[in-house]
Amino acid sequence: MTKTRRGLLLVAWIATVAILGWIVDRHLVIGADLRLFMPSPRTPQERLILEEIGEGPASRMLLLAISGPDPQAAADTSRALAAALRASGEFRLVANGESNPGAIPDSLLSYRYLLSPTLDHSALDAGFLRAQLEERVRDLSSPAAGLLEPWLPRDPTLELLKLADSWLPARQPQLLYDVWFGASGKEALLVAETRAAGFDPQGQRKTADALQRAFDDSRTDGNLRLESSGPGAFSVLMQERTQGEAQWLGSASVFGMVILLLVAYRSVPVLVLGLLPLLSAGVAGLAAVGMIFGTVHGITLGFGFTLIGVAQDYPMHLFSHQRRGLDARASARALWPTLATGVASTCVAYLAFLFSGVRGLAQLAVFTVTGLAVAGLTTRFLLPSLVPESSRDAADSARLGRLWHAIAELPRPLWLGVATALACVAYLALSPRPLWENDLGALTPIPPALLARDSALRQELGAPDVRHLLVIEDSDAESVLQKAADLEPKLAALVARGVLEGYDQPARYLPAKSVQERRRAALPDADTLRASLNEALGTTPFKPGIFEPFLADVATARQLPALGPADLAGTPVEARISSLLLQREDHWTGLATLTGVNDAGAVAQVAAQVPGTTLLDLKQASEDLVAHQRERILWCLAVAAVLLVIVVFAALRDALRVRRVLAPMALTTLLIVALFHATGVSLSLFHLIALVLAAGLGLDYALFFEHAADDPAEQRRTLHAVIVCSLSTLLVFALLALSTLPVLRAIGLTVAAGVVSNFVLALLLTRPSRRTAG
Amino acid sequence: MIGLTLTAAPLHAADPDAAALLARLARPAPDSTSFVEVRYSRLLEEPILVSGHLEHRKDGSLVRSVEWPFQEVTEVHGENVSVTRAGSRPRRFTLDRAPELRGMLTSFGAILQGDRQTLEQYFAVSATGAEARWEITLTPRVDKLKRHLSRIVVNGVENRPQCFTLTEPDGDESVMVLGITGPEALPTSRERGALRAWCTDGNRQ
Repeated sequence: MTKTRRGLLLVAWIATVAILGWIVDRHLVIGADLRLFMPSPRTPQERLILEEIGEGPASRMLLLAISGPDPQAAADTSRALAAALRASGEFRLVANGESNPGAIPDSLLSYRYLLSPTLDHSALDAGFLRAQLEERVRDLSSPAAGLLEPWLPRDPTLELLKLADSWLPARQPQLLYDVWFGASGKEALLVAETRAAGFDPQGQRKTADALQRAFDDSRTDGNLRLESSGPGAFSVLMQERTQGEAQWLGSASVFGMVILLLVAYRSVPVLVLGLLPLLSAGVAGLAAVGMIFGTVHGITLGFGFTLIGVAQDYPMHLFSHQRRGLDARASARALWPTLATGVASTCVAYLAFLFSGVRGLAQLAVFTVTGLAVAGLTTRFLLPSLVPESSRDAADSARLGRLWHAIAELPRPLWLGVATALACVAYLALSPRPLWENDLGALTPIPPALLARDSALRQELGAPDVRHLLVIEDSDAESVLQKAADLEPKLAALVARGVLEGYDQPARYLPAKSVQERRRAALPDADTLRASLNEALGTTPFKPGIFEPFLADVATARQLPALGPADLAGTPVEARISSLLLQREDHWTGLATLTGVNDAGAVAQVAAQVPGTTLLDLKQASEDLVAHQRERILWCLAVAAVLLVIVVFAALRDALRVRRVLAPMALTTLLIVALFHATGVSLSLFHLIALVLAAGLGLDYALFFEHAADDPAEQRRTLHAVIVCSLSTLLVFALLALSTLPVLRAIGLTVAAGVVSNFVLALLLTRPSRRTAG
Repeated sequence: MIGLTLTAAPLHAADPDAAALLARLARPAPDSTSFVEVRYSRLLEEPILVSGHLEHRKDGSLVRSVEWPFQEVTEVHGENVSVTRAGSRPRRFTLDRAPELRGMLTSFGAILQGDRQTLEQYFAVSATGAEARWEITLTPRVDKLKRHLSRIVVNGVENRPQCFTLTEPDGDESVMVLGITGPEALPTSRERGALRAWCTDGNRQ
């Protein structure tokens, strides 16, 4: 190939990658919903669990605390912040304890007797009215007179106030300066329900920014500090930390790789050329994911690039076999069967994830398989034409020769390999501890100090439990609300017994239509009410005729149709009801949030008494889901393992060679699992993916060692290639293993241990006997 | 002191008589006195009467205990007010939502503490009468107060304030008479005019 044609090829290659990259960048949407990495729901129950995990009111709840030296300033800021947050559009609901009857919209004023439970236990008769009017006289003589007087002609029973009070949380923090304060009296407290789902880190990030802006605009005092806590705030925090650390580790490993490659090949062009297959792989992988799925998850992106990092090894095999007088194309042709076997078998392993039933993993599979295939093919067909002739031959290295010789001298304790494998299997089978980690939270743990703070705020605010939730299901809203009403006295009894500290349920804000209609029917007609009122007024000092607005309101209420969920649109009540009463495709779901659950069993018993009601333990349910999902993935991997053996067998066509190639990888996998178990590390999905990655690497090492079996020079070149490959991989993943974040550490440790073990075992088990190495 | 942070209106020199008078009225906390309050409301045909004790505590809080004709305790701590009536849940609110009460407490507290500065921050102060029988009229300066409070008139004898009369723009009025234990000490007519005259004349002891 002439120099010009070489140049043209290089330019065309780079241009193709750049253009494809540009198109991908323009069109690919990067998603962030973490539920993409959760199992796809198969039963309605599972779907509900997944919806609640990410979208339930508790997962959207942010607990806010404003603290500073001057409580009055904190209170003023609390009020301004609440108004700003309500106006920002990022929040469904903001509560800070402020309440006044004016907060109930005019359109709902006449509905008060239908919404308030007063008529359930008393009638608007002369006796009740007299008692109420006597109280009002006392109110007028009290310091609260100025507050209540304007409402009395319209609402002598103070129904609006009762309604507003009943909508406040059952247990709420103390009020100072009209807003909620912590017990210390130093921090103003707020609760906000975000519009973004708790499992949507991008939405939560946007919300967090809006919150900070609103606080900066609202604060009346530079010394004030805002804290926010809750699932959304934590997901933003953890994402930042993960990204920050991954970035730092990424930069460090790129730097290390460049140094390593320069030392190994002493050529800048080789360094640059070595990157081309990897870049092509990344762009092609993204394009494939984009075409199939439309969006790519941020995790797929980050994780996928880690996985196709293996592709960096492919050109290295080519480079390490370069020597004077050898056409790289011929060398590539010679290496291809081995390389192709490695690529194909790794792809087979990743294909298992395509059938895992987890969308995020399916994306990852498409990305990795496409990427590795492209990297393999470009290394075979494009790269060799571009590789400059090398004056160095790795086989000339005396040190490599001595090293190979020393390795060949080592005993080959095949029986030890078998014994180790058996020991590992026996240990894992007999150990009583669970092998797997089912708690997703364990992978991105929140610092204990923040958790303690969260639970303290939750306690003070009486905020709902993030773990337990009562779910009421039925075909229509009316039946759900009816069941919620049946549940109400039972829950109240649980609170009285101390099983529960509090609860919230949709019928508190919107009673079932049948209940509203019953209350409406209990409203006396105009004449009866007037007569009762006159009788009641007889003994009080109220002026005659001042309660005409009250009589008019009751007359109006008698004509009102009962309210349904749709009628509340645009009112402040809508915000409350919309998170507790949800319409799914063909049915309605009501949620009762629980606060301070001391005995989940007792709550479950109560739930069992109302048909269609279940106590959801989100932690338990999600752990079950994870276990379920893992079982399926393991089955897929088992099938993949069989396919992998078939691929390798098809390539090598010799049982002994197949055994030699597969032994290091199989033993490594067993050893790592046993080692992790022995050191108390529970395995997660991320360990599993990392184990597949490590197995793929081990397979490559073994294949190349096996390939070089007969020729001493080839053995040295192969040793050079595998040393460079394994060192670069080890460098990247050992850095990752230093991470403080368990998810990154899990991947780093697994792969780093896998590289070392695979390298050593490949040398011990796969390299030829002294006889053949001769 | 209550509401110090609200506004800072320029200080006007009060009537020299008022200044001297205010200085004499100061009483150190803790202090407790009995009261009878008569409240005229536009919703009511006749005024409501209650009696009880007012207590000014050392920590600056004020407690108003109604003992007749029913039991009710109001506590004011800084900005926060709670009203507890026997048999029902406390009603809590802040002075921001009860400007009449803020006006009343400010004037009352400032007079008890001899805090002319606070008084003049919220009110224009004028005084008439002599040392033996005097009248101080407080007219709100602050808009927020003006909307809910027309004036407060304090009548007293020597160094004792006896009547606090609070008039609202809508005509509602409350008269708090200090130092008497029950309504029997009041004039038999509960007409506003009669009570006003009784306060102005100081015709009791």
